[in-house]
Amino acid sequence: MFSQILIWLLVASNALGYIYLLYRAWTRVPRRDIDDVVPFLYPVDLSLMESLLDPAADFELRWQLSPREFREAQRRRMRLYLELLRRMAHNSTVLAEFNSVLLGDDKFTSGPASKLEEEAVKVRLYSWCTRLRLGIWLSLPLNAFGVMPALACLRTAADLDGPKAYDDLKAAAVAAFVQLEPAELETLTRNL
Amino acid sequence: MNVLLQTIPLWLLAVLLFLLLRGHAYKACPWFFAYVAFGVAAGLIRVLVRNYPHLYYATYWITEAGYDILGLLVMYELIRTVLQKLARTWWGRLIFPAVLLAGIGLSVVRALSAPPQFSGLAFYIVTGEIAVRCVQALVFTGLVAIVLILGLRWRQYPFGIATGFGGYSFVALLMTTKFSDFGTRFTFLWGWTLLVAYSIAVLIWIWFFSVPQKPETPSPDLPTPSPGALQQHQATMEQYLDWLRRMR
Repeated sequence: MFSQILIWLLVASNALGYIYLLYRAWTRVPRRDIDDVVPFLYPVDLSLMESLLDPAADFELRWQLSPREFREAQRRRMRLYLELLRRMAHNSTVLAEFNSVLLGDDKFTSGPASKLEEEAVKVRLYSWCTRLRLGIWLSLPLNAFGVMPALACLRTAADLDGPKAYDDLKAAAVAAFVQLEPAELETLTRNL
Repeated sequence: MNVLLQTIPLWLLAVLLFLLLRGHAYKACPWFFAYVAFGVAAGLIRVLVRNYPHLYYATYWITEAGYDILGLLVMYELIRTVLQKLARTWWGRLIFPAVLLAGIGLSVVRALSAPPQFSGLAFYIVTGEIAVRCVQALVFTGLVAIVLILGLRWRQYPFGIATGFGGYSFVALLMTTKFSDFGTRFTFLWGWTLLVAYSIAVLIWIWFFSVPQKPETPSPDLPTPSPGALQQHQATMEQYLDWLRRMR
């Protein structure tokens, strides 16, 4: 009976996978124009990100605040970092979609079709793994146990350095959209 | 069943083998190439010995075991190919053994609760076959999840292979769990449904492998950018670096 249920779950998940593939083949990627890129990007403050991931900032807060205050401050910083990660993942999706439109989604490639796509995948992998970790930390009653993990350990996830991966994505976006007008490129970079 | 209809997957596999050879796809997916080559050879042998029941019985089960082993190796190849392009993490190496254990566990539990109507070596081969179908279904579901989360391109050979195997394992597992209710008509339905499902899987592979795959790194044959374009690119990069410095 137990194995039967598990096999049914497997069959159902396979069916859902096929439905998703058909849906994706039917809708393809959103047909983004260049005008649909810049307004859809959320600015990511890299200096804020660096300050959140700075081990010295963790240490300073721990030193200056009482344990209770530190835990509260740390939870606020976690939520802030979670928001930055959401923005990173969203921006990488928007850029990758526009890039797919430029390159044509019909091509068969042996991996990412461009440098931008490769960097976008890295950013999404990093942000997904880190969001998972942060989500677990925020959902657990860590206050009750008197423990609070340091944000500095979130700098790397899945063997990727988060801020560096996002910086590389920005550089790849500039290189990929070199044909844009300087003003448009400036807006794009500012909004990233 | 008509011999011609029975050998439809064999002809389709022969077409696929030709496409794999023409596109040099054996370099990208060597185990899948081995699987297809084995499929053609096994299909031919089965057709040749079909009038000798004892020989056919032995050949059938030996080739089924071969399909199972190669099917697992193809799954290993898929996971390795997809993951090595994403990240080299310590837990990445544990994914295939974990999937394999899950598939074997599921198959063994199922064999204990509803034993297959075979004895001896055939019993183990059938149990192994269900384990392989579970592994294939898990790998397909996992790859769809990766594509969904990371927004990867589906139009890559490893994903095409997973789609074919995923569809076939979906039908095979569905038959295993549900169609046994059909009683005496079961064998007939089993044969036809699996034949059609496998033919569709091979057609999916043919579709994927009929299009040449572009290399992921820029080809040296690409036209060199003009000095003007290079200068513009360099100026943009400098401007960008300047913005970055100012932002910090």
